[in-house]
Amino acid sequence: MMVNLGLLINPVAGMGGRVGLKGTDGLVQEALMRGASPGSLARTVRFLRALPSSDVLFLTCSGDMGEAAFIEAGYRRCRVVYRYSGESTAADTKEACRTFLREGVSLILFCGGDGTARDVLEGSGGRTPILGIPAGVKMYSGVFALTPESAAALVSEWNGQCREAEVLDVDEDAYRKGELRTRLYGFARVPAMQGMVQHSKDVFESSDEESAKADIAMFLAEVIMGTPKTLYLLGPGSTTLRIASAFGLEKSLLGFDAVMGGHLVGRDLDERAILALLEKTDHARIIVSPLGMQGAVLGRGTQQISPGVIRKVGVENVIVIATPQKLAGTPSLFVDTGDPALDRAFGGTIRVITGYHVARRRALLSPAEWAGSSLR
Amino acid sequence: MQSKILLEEDEMPKRWYNVQADLPSPLDPPLHPATKKLVTPDDLRVIFPMELIRQEMSPQRYIDIPEEVREILTLWRPSPLYRAKRLEKALKTPAKIYYKYEGVSPPGSHKPNTAVAQAYYNMKEGIERIATETGAGQWGSALAFATSQFGLGCTVYMVRSSYAQKPYRKIMMQVWGAECIPSPSTKTNAGRTILEKYPETSGSLGIAISEAVEDAATHENTNYSLGSVLNHVCLHQTVVGLEAKEQLAMVDSYPDMVIGCVGGGSNFAGISFPFAGDKLTGRRKDVEIVAVEPAACPTLTKGIYTYDYGDVAGLTPLLKMYTLGHDFIPAAIHAGGLRYHGDSPLVSRFVHDGVMRAVAYNQNEVFEAAKLFAQTEGIIIAPETAHAVKAVVDEAMKCRQTGEEKVILFNNSGHGHFDLSAYDIYLQGRLEDYEYPTDLIRDSLARLPKVS
Repeated sequence: MMVNLGLLINPVAGMGGRVGLKGTDGLVQEALMRGASPGSLARTVRFLRALPSSDVLFLTCSGDMGEAAFIEAGYRRCRVVYRYSGESTAADTKEACRTFLREGVSLILFCGGDGTARDVLEGSGGRTPILGIPAGVKMYSGVFALTPESAAALVSEWNGQCREAEVLDVDEDAYRKGELRTRLYGFARVPAMQGMVQHSKDVFESSDEESAKADIAMFLAEVIMGTPKTLYLLGPGSTTLRIASAFGLEKSLLGFDAVMGGHLVGRDLDERAILALLEKTDHARIIVSPLGMQGAVLGRGTQQISPGVIRKVGVENVIVIATPQKLAGTPSLFVDTGDPALDRAFGGTIRVITGYHVARRRALLSPAEWAGSSLR
Repeated sequence: MQSKILLEEDEMPKRWYNVQADLPSPLDPPLHPATKKLVTPDDLRVIFPMELIRQEMSPQRYIDIPEEVREILTLWRPSPLYRAKRLEKALKTPAKIYYKYEGVSPPGSHKPNTAVAQAYYNMKEGIERIATETGAGQWGSALAFATSQFGLGCTVYMVRSSYAQKPYRKIMMQVWGAECIPSPSTKTNAGRTILEKYPETSGSLGIAISEAVEDAATHENTNYSLGSVLNHVCLHQTVVGLEAKEQLAMVDSYPDMVIGCVGGGSNFAGISFPFAGDKLTGRRKDVEIVAVEPAACPTLTKGIYTYDYGDVAGLTPLLKMYTLGHDFIPAAIHAGGLRYHGDSPLVSRFVHDGVMRAVAYNQNEVFEAAKLFAQTEGIIIAPETAHAVKAVVDEAMKCRQTGEEKVILFNNSGHGHFDLSAYDIYLQGRLEDYEYPTDLIRDSLARLPKVS
């Protein structure tokens, strides 16, 4: 059903991790000196070998950015459309994506980590769906398949339906100092995974993600209308976008906007602006959706919502929203505000609004538990 | 110490206890859905036999159980009262836990206690077929069993999610000769309307009630039968509590606490009303009565006490009760029998007046209690019943803290042999805890019918 697919490899992805560098951005030579060997090529070979048929035509890049994997896997139906020289860079990744777009690919596959995902999102412009074959040191973004094999299964069974996923990346300088700071870079379209949401033919939660978003947005828009004196801080994401558009408001996609009584009172606010608004209001609520594969509710990609802001609003006024489809892909949720006492104030579980008048209660991990359970 | 306390067949109660007689003031009456005026017996005659309408409104303290009904009830009644010694030991609690086991009936729950009586009165008045709804399938199979005893036809509208999840309940109904239809169906106007709006709906008790009522109202030879909520249903279930009182008296005991799970309220009414009567009349002022419901459908703990319809379509009389709104479709938790937006007007009144109190639990903690119960007392209970067990475990643990030797009585309303897929999901760690976001819903809208 797919005409052709683009595939690119970040040949140095994942190298830093094995030699203790926590990321490879700008440190390839150092990684090589420490004895790292690229793993992304081998992972792409695994992906190609796991494809059930060899009918799909791939457009790819020369050498270690693609072609080498096809040769090693014995996969013949590929055409090199982008050639690079010397060491491949982020600029090559972006340019390869632009080339794929000109060739009219229906999906861009890439093998790498969060850094690669950022470059692919930038190069592809966000409209063409992308899918990551995991190979990086950091994979906080929601655009990766779990394994090369599951990426192959997804590609072969994909019916063209997409869902939205966040592209997050860590500030590597801070990370090497032991500080984890993730930033939200944007939203990508990824193939919707069939069968990931169990028996959801129910009225109370919608079985497709778009109507689930509409249900959640309708519910919360009614809540906002019913509480005209409450200040609402709407976090990033397309569901909050829909809440705002119920009032005819244009929300910033990546930032926090403030809404009160159906009016926009602040757009893409930073911490200081939020605190200033909170000074003038008696009651406020924060509406957020978990970000990325690891399900960060607050603290990763949402630095505007500082511990000071959360304390002022009150943990009981943090409203978490997520579609059932999204929750199915995020087995655990966690908060990491940077203030352990505040993290604990959220308790061991959290309520997530999943539909119109429907919520689920999910376990909420502390950053320590989360690091033990899911850091890769 | 005995494991179970048994009564002889001739010691089975000969009269039902009608708690309405001991209310300090009469119950707020049902109102006509269209005119909002008081419902008259004539309004109800279209779908109910006269004797049940009389019982519904009766001020009489005791009502005789017909001999033909008692005769059938002896197939499994009197039901055993167990002392849950093994559970007590596992909890290291000084509390004394007793439970009435209603899973010994042919359909495996308390439901035939009223199904047999209702089928009997319909048969006496020349009715040929009964239409009803069922959630988890316990009521449908009970009425299928009861109608087969009297040679009546039976049509059961079964909530679609349960029809798919619990095919064995459907087969039981068919074995007893009943017709079982997934709801919403295309057989009724109410069903067709819902299907048009939500073609993929999992259905709900409220929708199924609309269908069964419409079926009965539009067929001369057909009446409607409700498995819970209404006063006469609660009345028929009082055999459970009356027997339990006798059985406890045999070991010189009386409960400090009576616990039951609540969907529409009938099994809870059955175990608790005879004790509520003692509380109302001052004979036993201190008995504590606790209703247990799911957090996903927290009618008594989070609902509003007001007049609302019993069904989605607004065909039934308006009842004064705790309600989450008749258009509320609860999450598809596995305790299907507890997925009801409203509650028995009598139970609601008692909770409102403080005669009883209510608590709510999530699915996972409830199944954890059910597993403990199976591993100690041996019986694999229905997920509905497991809500009561969870509350019992919590109360028994409180006794462990305080050292109190409280006597706790609960209704083990049925077995869970047809709920094993739910246990399977629990064991695999895939059970979702659904909740009703009350605070936000209150902030958003009021959706209840306005009654002046």
